[in-house]
Amino acid sequence: MTDAKSVIAARAAKELKDGQVINLGIGLPTLIANYVDHDVDVVIQTENGAIGVGPRPQPGCEDRDRANAGNQPITLIPGGSYFDSATSFGMIRGGHVDATFLGTLQVDEQGNIANWVVPGKMLAGMGGAMDLVTGAKTVYIVSEHCAKDGSSKLMQRCTFPLTGAKECDVIITERALFRRYPDRGFVLEEVACGYSLDDIAACTDMAYTVADDVKLDAYGEVEHEAIAT
Amino acid sequence: MPKNKVVPIAEAMSPIRSGMSIAIGGFIGQGDPLTLIDHLKTIDVKDLTIYENDGGFHDRGTVELVNQGKVKKIVASHVGTTPDIGEAMNEGRLEVVPTPQGTLAEMMRCGGAGLGGFLTPTGVGTIAEEGKQVVELHGRRYILVEALRVDVALIRAHSGDTWGNLIYRGTSRNFNVVAATCADYVVAEVEDLYTLGELDTNAIHTPGIFVDAVVRADIGYCKLREEKFDD
Repeated sequence: MTDAKSVIAARAAKELKDGQVINLGIGLPTLIANYVDHDVDVVIQTENGAIGVGPRPQPGCEDRDRANAGNQPITLIPGGSYFDSATSFGMIRGGHVDATFLGTLQVDEQGNIANWVVPGKMLAGMGGAMDLVTGAKTVYIVSEHCAKDGSSKLMQRCTFPLTGAKECDVIITERALFRRYPDRGFVLEEVACGYSLDDIAACTDMAYTVADDVKLDAYGEVEHEAIAT
Repeated sequence: MPKNKVVPIAEAMSPIRSGMSIAIGGFIGQGDPLTLIDHLKTIDVKDLTIYENDGGFHDRGTVELVNQGKVKKIVASHVGTTPDIGEAMNEGRLEVVPTPQGTLAEMMRCGGAGLGGFLTPTGVGTIAEEGKQVVELHGRRYILVEALRVDVALIRAHSGDTWGNLIYRGTSRNFNVVAATCADYVVAEVEDLYTLGELDTNAIHTPGIFVDAVVRADIGYCKLREEKFDD
């Protein structure tokens, strides 16, 4: 399980471009920060009210007034700042955040995302996810390909209540990368090392097309190591 | 405007009655007004409607009022950090209205700014638009959300003076700023209390005009998350 998450986080980190402002969801997406290339500087926004989130503080240096949206202690890099919730979501809805990376329960071939509630289960809530998928310029779903019961999370149509309608731009799983285009829907662009095109077809319920230049054995060195361990 | 709004906590909280609506600042423990919430635990009120980002963290915060049976309804973006709230909802003891975080913040901001409501693209095509009017403007669909006015707001700041001018610290600013504006009566607990003129006038986040009563915060925060996320 941990291996799949590392693979996803490392591949997602390669999407980042120097100077981008990004927001990372709680859980797996938080790991992406550990894999950002040294020559790429990204600025991390956290929706509870900070931009320029830096490394986790050293043990003993945690500050109760400095935490992220998951309530984990944070530091700020030089240039970072704090702000209130209305300002934070003004940034998010206003298109000032370049990309958001979120986990999901379900995502479908229209780009619909369902990641905030399982009907009948204990309610958590959508938090800032509905605003993030609406406002961020590029919405990445980073998630394991299949649910715990083995069913595909990449569905024809989401069955859980939606977080956002037609908002997902890119899906990155430990097995494949799909990018959505207005004229073609989701296109399979990369297949991770250890999987074939047939493997992906067998575990993917949503419709997609395969890119002419689909990259096999993709995802690079780090992930090879991660899979091997 | 009274020159000295610093009052004993019992006096500050005395206007709170059963059935009132209360906006509470804070974010899963960051900047939660725990001194005021603890006092509210000792007051005999019920049927409160709470507007807050969440229910607190683990067993601390608004969740304690829920466990006492004082809360009828909570409008929040996330109650996953307080399992007791989910349980109260499942058992029918509490109504929870899940609301997108940015929408909740803007409801408070607009209510405090004298606006009737706002148009947001957040939640179009989801349950967030149920029961609400959807407006199309320049080819894009928006949900019409009504502004929020409440009876009381409870907030926490790091520094404050006797006029109720407030300065927050770090990520404890969050909903405290907007909650302070949207209520008929606002109580602020402050960690450090100053006399007039001592605060840096350029650094004040909440001007005292929004605040009715100031009390000293005598309770620390609940803990930060210690464990790392596993998924």
